[in-house]
Amino acid sequence: MQDKVEITPEAAVRAVMQDILGLSEEQVAEFTAETELFGALPELDSMAVAGLLTELEDRLDIMIDDDEVDGELFETFGNLVAFAEMKVTE
Amino acid sequence: MTPLPAFVSYEFADRKELCLALDAPSGRNVMLVPPLFDEMNRMRKMLVDVMRALQTVDISSFLPDLPGCNESPVPLAQVTLTDWQHAVQACAQQHRISHIASFRAGVLTVAAMPDAGHWMLSPVKGAAILRTMMRTRIAADRETGLNTSLSGLAEQAKAEPIELAGNIIGPALFSQLNDAKPPTPKHQRIARLASDNKPADVQIDGSALWLRAEPGDDPAMSCAIAKDIAAWVGQ
Repeated sequence: MQDKVEITPEAAVRAVMQDILGLSEEQVAEFTAETELFGALPELDSMAVAGLLTELEDRLDIMIDDDEVDGELFETFGNLVAFAEMKVTE
Repeated sequence: MTPLPAFVSYEFADRKELCLALDAPSGRNVMLVPPLFDEMNRMRKMLVDVMRALQTVDISSFLPDLPGCNESPVPLAQVTLTDWQHAVQACAQQHRISHIASFRAGVLTVAAMPDAGHWMLSPVKGAAILRTMMRTRIAADRETGLNTSLSGLAEQAKAEPIELAGNIIGPALFSQLNDAKPPTPKHQRIARLASDNKPADVQIDGSALWLRAEPGDDPAMSCAIAKDIAAWVGQ
């Protein structure tokens, strides 16, 4: 069996966005820290956020508490990546 | 004329549960065990596309309804993970199935058949499925002004059936799912999406339809799944 490939938190966030929102690899590669998410991407509703958080937990082997999730987290791609980076070092 | 998918049944706990079947003359039978809850609805089209593709290579396939799901006559609130495991085992025995392809959390229901051949797509632990469903419930509650939490819901689920994303889940099912990890049978082949970094025997290009907001399809991925299952059954 092919081993688990270690990926950066940023790569994990991109892969999860691609899978959950049904975007192409090229579309997700264009995301920058300033790319707006919640409100700007119609696919990203509260149901999608529920799945996104669980997928991030699974891929980065982290646990995300309710009180860590607020509107600011999903304002921009950069916020979400910074949060993922912070969680993997906890 | 190409046969169409038809409903057959399997007996479990003195009841008949439905099973979608697509016959091929070869006598090679594969059971497809669907994902759980919403993920099942989002992947049903893909699973039926896989069945059609398997038929073109002369493999019969069976897609059972799990008790409490889809057309099952039993309320989900009365169902346990043990029931699902025994139901899937009963379906396999009654339709003489030796090869099982299970999808996502469907892998948790095949644990009672360690000697069968198992093909698994993107296996997931039960706790992850429950956390997404609890988060969906929390988001819905918030819109009506209620303040629920993951820990509060998990506590409530120990004592009484709770509603999560439209499913009434009893305490036994919640507790069993929360502890359930994908089985590791002797004969297994794990398939994952190319975008997934976890260990896999084969990576398949395609879409994580089970994570999408709406049911969809991905014909190329359905064909790739059927091709890999057919090669694995043929060994």
